[in-house]
Amino acid sequence: MFFEPFTDVVPSFFGWLNQGPLTLTIFLHTVIILPMFWIYKQEKANLEKEA
Amino acid sequence: MAKKNVSVWTSIPFWRRSAAWVTGFAVMLLIWLSFDTLGQISMGTDEDLKAGTTKRVPAPTVINYNIDYKMDKKRGSEVPVIGAKEPFFGKEWSVEEAADLLHLGKLTSQAKNCMNCHTLLGNGAYFAPDLTKSWLDPMWSATGPMQAMTGKPTKEEAMAEFLINPSQYPTHARMMPNLGITAEEAVGLVAFLKHMSSIDTNGFPRNFSKTVDQFKVGGTNAR
Repeated sequence: MFFEPFTDVVPSFFGWLNQGPLTLTIFLHTVIILPMFWIYKQEKANLEKEA
Repeated sequence: MAKKNVSVWTSIPFWRRSAAWVTGFAVMLLIWLSFDTLGQISMGTDEDLKAGTTKRVPAPTVINYNIDYKMDKKRGSEVPVIGAKEPFFGKEWSVEEAADLLHLGKLTSQAKNCMNCHTLLGNGAYFAPDLTKSWLDPMWSATGPMQAMTGKPTKEEAMAEFLINPSQYPTHARMMPNLGITAEEAVGLVAFLKHMSSIDTNGFPRNFSKTVDQFKVGGTNAR
């Protein structure tokens, strides 16, 4: 199952995130990689303006 | 105006901003995780035990209770189950007494350097058996060979007797040396081990029951 019911003793966000096999990977890629596209586009626009 | 060809990959500001973002995010994540973990590792109280509230690390007074180790199908591992009260060295220990005893046991385990050969909660060596769940090892139960060998009526007395005179009892191919543990320190150590076994370690050490079964057919935990 991709999302599994929470079974840990102490409820926590990361405990919940780690229940499934890929959820932590997908979460970290989403929050780290996606803003880097935005940084890339901003820098590209800057360079084009300067050129 | 036509757009000029520009290379973002050779732009230093791009890499600087990317590195700052990834590092900054990782720092925030680690700070969050540090505080998030506090809730998981905080010791429970005597009231939690009385109310039957499950804590990952129970209060020191857990030594007054029977501890069982049961397979939890939902979690996919064995979990300690704190049961009915049972006397520990023939008495019930108060909150202060239990805390002092556990403290003595911890200090003794450090002074005698148990981790030099054994593993405690994942720390230490595998020269000698893993002690994380040693209290739950059927070897020390009423019908187990270790308790029979020491000739003591209870598990805690048998373990204490073994710790005081380890070199008198043949165990594994590697026998434990006499470390000069006093009777008082041995009681503390057994309390320390019993409390450790009551900690929910997400099923660590893995295959604990399997190694016990292997031992029964003549295998050894210390290879």
